[in-house]
Amino acid sequence: MRRTLFALLAVTALSAAARAPAESAWVAPRGPGGKPDVNGTWQVMNRANDGLETHAARAARALRDGPHGPVPAKEVLALGAVGAVPAGLGVVVGDGIPYQAWARKKQTENQAHWLSRDPEVKCYLPGIPRATYLPYPFQILYNEDALFFAYEYAGAVRNIHLTDPGPAPIDSWMGQSVGKWEGDTLVIETTGQHDQSWLDRAGNFHSEALRVVERLTPTSPLTMRYEATLEDAKVYTRPWTIRMTLYRLVGDDAQLQQFNCVEFVEELIYGHLRKQPLDRIESSE
Amino acid sequence: MIRAAALLLVLLLARVTSAEEWSPPRLAFGDPDLQGTWTNATITPLERPDEIEALVVPPEEGHRIEKLVADLYAAVDDVPAGKLEAGEDVGGYNTFWMDPGKRLAVVRGEIRTSIITDPPDGELPYSLRGRAQLVKRFWRLRKADDPETRLLGERCLVGFGSSGGPPMLPVLYNNNYQIVQSPGFVTILVEMNHNARIIRLGAQHRQGPIRPWLGDSVGRFEGQTLVVETTHFHPAQSFRVSLTHAVYMSTDAKVVERFTRLSAKEILYEFSVEDLENYRQIWKGEMPLLAAEGRIFEYACHEGNYSLTNILAGERAKD
Repeated sequence: MRRTLFALLAVTALSAAARAPAESAWVAPRGPGGKPDVNGTWQVMNRANDGLETHAARAARALRDGPHGPVPAKEVLALGAVGAVPAGLGVVVGDGIPYQAWARKKQTENQAHWLSRDPEVKCYLPGIPRATYLPYPFQILYNEDALFFAYEYAGAVRNIHLTDPGPAPIDSWMGQSVGKWEGDTLVIETTGQHDQSWLDRAGNFHSEALRVVERLTPTSPLTMRYEATLEDAKVYTRPWTIRMTLYRLVGDDAQLQQFNCVEFVEELIYGHLRKQPLDRIESSE
Repeated sequence: MIRAAALLLVLLLARVTSAEEWSPPRLAFGDPDLQGTWTNATITPLERPDEIEALVVPPEEGHRIEKLVADLYAAVDDVPAGKLEAGEDVGGYNTFWMDPGKRLAVVRGEIRTSIITDPPDGELPYSLRGRAQLVKRFWRLRKADDPETRLLGERCLVGFGSSGGPPMLPVLYNNNYQIVQSPGFVTILVEMNHNARIIRLGAQHRQGPIRPWLGDSVGRFEGQTLVVETTHFHPAQSFRVSLTHAVYMSTDAKVVERFTRLSAKEILYEFSVEDLENYRQIWKGEMPLLAAEGRIFEYACHEGNYSLTNILAGERAKD
């Protein structure tokens, strides 16, 4: 028994040792300008959009009180298991989002009114960093003179300046992004976002003072480490970071489709203005 | 006189020489470099106005037309003083919001009066069926019973008219395009409505039930020229109307576009539309894409779309 345990430990140690140098020795294939080739279609495989912080599975994104605890709100009841929320390990580095006290209260309220407040429900542009971990792929188009992100969700786009044009002249949904390489890491700083976008479906939010610094580092032919540090002195007590893996889509999967969801929310937004409105369940909010 | 002729000759020679000497740049991965921010804003309409016969006009006539159009736009801002009576037309944008360009399009040194070059009369060669489809769709527009019957531009699904195309045609504003290239792709960001046309180089058209907005585009380089072929259009995009053109195209129409960089500041944009369901012949057009000043900003249309709400609510009030 002792010998078996020792052998097992030895094998584990050896395989860990074998892994460590392999990862650090891996050098990303060079792309345009001699930089790592990040061209391609990428997507996360995590639950970050359901909540950046660690969360257990729950019955629905919109809940109401039931006789023995929360049950799905009537507006989403018919979705059954399709509308339930899977558990998420969380992507925040450290102990959750360091909200100021008022801001944590607001986040909790946001979450309780998710259905009427989350911009994703209305197909609004996602903002940064949420665009990255929405459950849709995005394509990076890169060469030595240009860097452009095209997102499947809502047809959002981001032109990333490789020369800093100075402060953003106006706030916008996707903000103004400036990119540069630090070694093999692509570093993108985004400012000039207004306060309308959210960070996930759990009511996490920011103000117009948000500054996001993203760091994309290729870690294998098919993966990149993605980190984003959010700094917003109006809402948080200190800068904080999310970390996750981006996966490269390959073969037939590596085709960006269009999710022009504006069309799909017309009944929601304009249905009551039809000449002959259809039956609808009015929101309880 | 002789001196004037000599000067002209020198100028002409200089022009020919510079055109020959200018070699379009290539990107590190070998593709001709079309990158940058471009505009197709021009007062040259898609179809030639009835009162103008020739495709090409001399400079004096060009200036006269440009002044005429400038005066027409200036008149938009000439709002009479006093109150409007209830029920009167409140008008639309003033010219602050418009950016249709001020100049006629110049192609190969010629001042053009229509984007269409073929048929030679400069008019869309609608077949009876095509014309009927167009009229039918205009007829539906007279009411605002449901959001689905309104223009795509009003609904913020894509830009007005054929702004995103293809063919990409100028409209009243936001006539800007950004081209970004990467190995295997040319992407054209259409400012209105932040639509990225991702053109797959050397690829085959997709088939099946997914019919993309702005169609399915594949491309190739023929020498310095990017040739893009697009078909398999989204059915809602058949009816493309703006204040500057009214195009009806079937979902299986085939559009071929040719982008040739002529200088640091100009791309020649040529296109043909093959749709024998709706047109008597293949029709063709050409216009310049000129280097745009400044950069493209976010065109967040849907997020602030109070217009569609007001169009529908106004109609309900009328009911």
